[in-house]
Amino acid sequence: MPVWLREHRWRQTASAVYLSLPVRGLRVTPANIFCTDRYLKVSIPPFLFEAILYAPIDDTNSTAKIGNGIIFFTLYKKEEAMWDSLTLANANKEKLQYLRENAVLKAHEKAKEETEAKKVTKQEHKKYALEATMKLEEAERKRIEDLKEKERQKVTKELELWKKQQEDSEKQKRVQKEGELHQEVEQLKERKKEKMNKTSVPNEGASKTRLKATKGCHGSYSMFSENLKEEQLPAPRSATTIKINFTSRVFPTALRESRVAEEEEWLRKQAEARRTVSADLSELEDLKEEEKNPEWLKDKGNKMFATGNYLAAVNAYNLAVRLNNKLPLLYLNRAACHLKLRNLHKAIEDSSKALELLTPPVRDNENARIKAYVRRGTAFCQLELYTEGLQDYEAALKIDPKNKTIEKDAENIRHLIQGTTQDS
Amino acid sequence: AMAAGLERPQVVSHAQQALSYTLFDCKWVPRSARLLCLGSAARGSGLLQLYELRGGRLVLLREIEKAKPLKCGTFGATSLQQRYFATGDFGGNLNIWNLEAPEIPVYSVKGHKEIINSIDGVGGLGIGEGAPEIVTGSRDGTVKVWDPRQKDTPVANMEPVQGESKRDCWTVAFGNAYNQEERVVCAGYDNGDIKLFDLKTMSLRWETNIKNGVCSVEFDRKDVNMNKLVATSLEGKFHVFDMRTQHPTKGFASVSEKAQKSTIWQVRHLPQNRDIFMTSGGAGSLHLWKYEYPAQRSKKDSEGAEMGVAGSVSLLQNVTLSTQPISSLDWSPDKKGLCVCGAFDQTVRVLIVTKLNKV
Repeated sequence: MPVWLREHRWRQTASAVYLSLPVRGLRVTPANIFCTDRYLKVSIPPFLFEAILYAPIDDTNSTAKIGNGIIFFTLYKKEEAMWDSLTLANANKEKLQYLRENAVLKAHEKAKEETEAKKVTKQEHKKYALEATMKLEEAERKRIEDLKEKERQKVTKELELWKKQQEDSEKQKRVQKEGELHQEVEQLKERKKEKMNKTSVPNEGASKTRLKATKGCHGSYSMFSENLKEEQLPAPRSATTIKINFTSRVFPTALRESRVAEEEEWLRKQAEARRTVSADLSELEDLKEEEKNPEWLKDKGNKMFATGNYLAAVNAYNLAVRLNNKLPLLYLNRAACHLKLRNLHKAIEDSSKALELLTPPVRDNENARIKAYVRRGTAFCQLELYTEGLQDYEAALKIDPKNKTIEKDAENIRHLIQGTTQDS
Repeated sequence: AMAAGLERPQVVSHAQQALSYTLFDCKWVPRSARLLCLGSAARGSGLLQLYELRGGRLVLLREIEKAKPLKCGTFGATSLQQRYFATGDFGGNLNIWNLEAPEIPVYSVKGHKEIINSIDGVGGLGIGEGAPEIVTGSRDGTVKVWDPRQKDTPVANMEPVQGESKRDCWTVAFGNAYNQEERVVCAGYDNGDIKLFDLKTMSLRWETNIKNGVCSVEFDRKDVNMNKLVATSLEGKFHVFDMRTQHPTKGFASVSEKAQKSTIWQVRHLPQNRDIFMTSGGAGSLHLWKYEYPAQRSKKDSEGAEMGVAGSVSLLQNVTLSTQPISSLDWSPDKKGLCVCGAFDQTVRVLIVTKLNKV
C-alpha cells in the first residue's frame, strides 16, 4: 500500500497553476514524475502523489523543478480559466482507473511520436551534412583541376614562345647562310672571269690555288670551323677486342628463365639424401670406417665396373644402398651392372627407382636421367618388349634431341617393331 | 597537404599521336621542336617518322621506310649542323642516315649477327671532347664501338671468350668522355651483369651483377668525369652507382630502389640537371626521381682504401599514362622539362614536366 503524499499547496493564475509538493528527504529524479494533459503522478516508492487535474494542461511545456526537499510544478493551462480546485472532486474509482490508463497510453503514444520525430530530424541532418561535404569536396577538386589547367596553359604558351624563338633563330641562320652563299657565288663568278682572261697554264695553276685560298677565307663560317675541328679530332682507335666472361650461376640461367622452385627442391633433396643414414647399423659395426661411407662404396663399385668385375660392383652398390637408399646414382650404376650380368628384370627395377629419385626433372640431373632411360630401354629390348623399350628411348631423346647414338638405336628398335608386326 | 602536392613537379600531357606501327624508340631532333619515331610496321619493315610539335599537336613531316624493322637510334655522334641519325635494326645493321636524303645511308655496316638492342653516341652535338663514336649492344652478346670514319670494322669489340655461352646485351651507354683520350662504355646484360669497359686502356674496368636483367643504363652526363650511373632492371628495381670512387674489391657504392612491381624499361637524366632522372615502367607509368648526395661522398675502409658512399633517392612525382609498357623516353636538350615517350600501345606522347626549377 503506497503512502499518500497529501501536504501539497497550490495557487493559480489565469494561465498557469503552481503546485508545490514537499518530499522531505526523498531523492527525486525526473523518472519519478509522470504527467499527461489531465493526470499528474509522483511516485517515489513507497510514497505516492497523484492528481486528476481539474482541466487539461499543456504537459509538453509544463515544468517540474526538483530541489530542497520540494518539487515545484509549473503547469500551463490549456484553456485560460480559473480552476475551482486542483483536482476533480467527484472522481469515482472507475473513472480514476480509466483516467490513469488513458494517461499511460497517451504518454506512450507521445513518447513514440517523439522518437519518430527525432529519427526524421536525424535523417535530415545526416543528409544535409552529406550534401555539405560533397559540395566542399567538389569545390576542392575543381580548384585543383583549375590549377592544373592553368599550369597546362601556361606551359603550352611557354612552349609556343620557345618554338617561335627557335624558328626565328633558324630563319636568321638561313638568311645568313644565303647571304654568304651569295657572296661565294659572286666571288666564283669573278674568279671564272679572271681565269678566262688568263692564257698561260702556270698562271692557271696559281689562280686555282688562289681560288682555294680565297674560298677558305671568305667561305661560310661553319664550314671553316668544321675543317679546323676535324683536324683536331684524334684518329680512329686501332681496333681491339676485349674478351669478357659472364657471371656463372649454379644453374646457368637468368632469374627470369630459371625454374628456381624446382631447382631448389632438387638441391634440397640431394642434400637430404647425402645426410640420410639407414638405421640398421647393428650388423654393420664390424665394417671399416670407409666402408660405411656410401660415396666411397659408390666409387669402389664404379672402379670394379670399369675393370669388368660386375658381381663385386653389385655387392658394393648393395651395401651402399643399405646405408643410404636415397642416392639415385647408386641405383643407376647398379642397373648398368645388372645389364652386363643380363639380370634384365633387376636392371629395369633399378633404372625405375633411379628415375623416381631423379625428380624434379631439372637440367642438373639431365645426364643421369638420359642414362636411366637408355638402360631401361635396353633391358626392355633384350626382353623383347620392344614397344616399352622404344618409349624409354624416345624419352631419352626428348631430353637430348641431339644425341646421335640414341637416335640411331631408336630407329633400329622402330624397324624391329615394324619387322615383327609384318611377320605376324 | 594538397597545396604541398601541387608544389611538386607536375607531369602535364601536351600532345599525343596514335601510330599504326610498333614504336621502339623516339628521340628529339636537337635544336628543334621536331622528334623522330622509329619502329616496326606490321608488314615487317622498318619505319622512321619525323614529327613536328605545332600548337599542341604532332604534325607528320616525313615518313621513311626501310627494309628491316628499326630498334633504336641516336643523334649522339653527329654534329649540330649535319644532324645525322644513327640507327640499329633487327638484322644487326648499323646505319647512319642523312634525314634530308634518306635513300642511301651515310654509313652502313652489318655490325652484329642478331638484333641491335641498344645504341649510344658520343662526341657529337657540340658536347664533349674526342672523336665521335657510336656503341651498339646486341643479342649476340657483343658490344661494339664504331667510328664513322672507319668502315666495316669496329674500333672496339667486347665479346665473350671462346666457348662461353653468350648472354644478350640489352643496353649500352657512353660515359667519362671529358677529354680526348678518356671514354668508357657501360653495358647491361640479360643475366644482370653490368660491365664497364675503359676505351683508353681497352680493358674491363669493373663488373657487377644485379641479379635481374638490366634493361637500361645511363650516366648522368656523358661528357664529365663519371659521376653517377643508373641501371634499371626487371622486377621494378633500379640502382644508382656513385662512380667517383672505385674501391679495389668492392667496386662502386650504390643505392637501390624498388619503385613498382613491373620492369623498369628506361632511365633518362634531365639534360639540364644531372641529379634528376625519370624512369619508365612496364605498367605504363613514369616516375621522376631526385638524387641527393651524402654529406661525404667517400670514406676510408678498415684498410685505408677509399670507398664511395651512396646517397639517397627521393620520388618527386609519378604518373600513369598507359596500360602498356613505356619503352622509350627522351628529354629535349633544348627546352627544360619537355620530353617525349613512346609506349607499346602504339602511342607517342609529348609531356611537359613543370616546376623543375624549384626542385
